[in-house]
Amino acid sequence: MAKLSFHHNDGNVDVLDVDTGASVMRAAVTNGVPGIVGECGGNAMCATCHVYVREPYLASLPEISDDEEEMLDCTAAPRDEARSRLGCQLVLDNGLAELEVDVPDNQV
Amino acid sequence: MTQEATDARAVPTADWVSIADLHRDPFPIYRTLREEAPVHWVPAINRYLVTSYEACHIVENDQEVFSANETDSLMKRAMGHSMLRKDDPEHQADRKSYGSVLRPKAIKQTWDAIFRNNSDKFLARLKAEGPGADLIWEYAAPYAAENLRQIMGFHNASQEDMQRWSQTMIDGTGNYADDPEVWAKSEKSSAEVDAAIDEILPRLRKNPDSSLLAGLASMPIPLDAIRANMKMTIGGGLNEPRDVLGVAVWALLSNRGQLDQVTAEPALFPTVFEESVRWIAPIGMYPRETTRNTELEGMQLPAGARLGVAVGAGNRDPKVFDDPEVFDINRPKKPHLAFGGGNHFCAGAWVARASVAAIALPQLFNALPNLRLDPDQPATEAGWVFRGMTSLPVVWDQP
Ligand code: FES
Repeated sequence: MAKLSFHHNDGNVDVLDVDTGASVMRAAVTNGVPGIVGECGGNAMCATCHVYVREPYLASLPEISDDEEEMLDCTAAPRDEARSRLGCQLVLDNGLAELEVDVPDNQV
Repeated sequence: MTQEATDARAVPTADWVSIADLHRDPFPIYRTLREEAPVHWVPAINRYLVTSYEACHIVENDQEVFSANETDSLMKRAMGHSMLRKDDPEHQADRKSYGSVLRPKAIKQTWDAIFRNNSDKFLARLKAEGPGADLIWEYAAPYAAENLRQIMGFHNASQEDMQRWSQTMIDGTGNYADDPEVWAKSEKSSAEVDAAIDEILPRLRKNPDSSLLAGLASMPIPLDAIRANMKMTIGGGLNEPRDVLGVAVWALLSNRGQLDQVTAEPALFPTVFEESVRWIAPIGMYPRETTRNTELEGMQLPAGARLGVAVGAGNRDPKVFDDPEVFDINRPKKPHLAFGGGNHFCAGAWVARASVAAIALPQLFNALPNLRLDPDQPATEAGWVFRGMTSLPVVWDQP
């Protein structure tokens, strides 16, 4: 199990316990967390699963692939060079058992 | 969510719906259907028609219950078994073979300049035709076809070939009436595409470029899969940009206030694009088939049920969009269903956005001062599986 927190702009926080192996996008969509769309089903094609990862977790993230990199330039909310990631590319596993992200204002 | 049918409602029958009425204007029909139930059995099309946003969304995100691999598919007959009629993992393998050709980086590096060139070329053709010219057939269609020809790498074909192939094979995929003449034309185009691929692949293997076919030429992919996927791409890759372009121009010219707003602030063209495909989805319906007894948004469906997923209807669901029948670039932004979703999310979405929103629309309104609808020849639109403008005569001020 991994612990995943979504911080929303209105101050609300959604905290989920998710199975390891789930992506941030999949966890959000299956649990009805608002603000994460995941239009392309996790193929790094749509940029509607954009999240800002909170500071303490940045070091434990997987590297950004070429596909993710180009899609991060297509997000609806501005990209943050340090913190922006695609939720579908962040898989919660043993190396990433806890994660906190800020949900952008808009995804489309 | 989907689950085994238990206390689900029975699906009502809509025997009053006809193909001719859908073709003319599906939207009033969708509204009536949606108010009664999210799914109907529609005898005229021999399918369960799915018309609510929620139900469309559930279907496209659950390929285990709602398979794309339809039995007796007309599309398979017309174009071969493309990735559009496969589920993962087979779908994923085909999808991956397209590589990065259609992605934002390649668009920026290679295709943007080519699109701009093509837009200039066909704008000149439209201008030469003079006021009263048809924007669809003098500009939008050849522009979309020429862009697609170059992206795909059909250096041995013309944009007119692309248009003919696309239309005749699409007519095949929609040949529910089983008209032998439609099949004959579709088969002839299919054979022409095969011949063009056979001719070009060895050339591209020797002299690779940035095109889709050049990428495929270097991969160990069965020729069958290449052929079917190329035919599917010729179909969807031409209609979608052509039709969103036509609809966007028509909508703006019919809504003077919004046109003024956009010409004052060209950064709004992407919003115009998204609202146009929400309002009239160029691909308005696609098929799925249930793999078992199931429940869809509370409605009972048997195993093997053939569905028509009407994203054109879902995009006008008042539960999601306020005043959905109206074209309004100022509505709150929400995700629409026009590009499909889940694993079949349109691979050409970024190409369509780049070629239409970033290049064609701004160039068009820039090049033709005081562009407006031709008062003497009304614009026409048609279709429901595919919907777009069938003519769009325009006039403008000449210098
Ligand atoms: S779900 Fe589409 S990019 Fe992540």
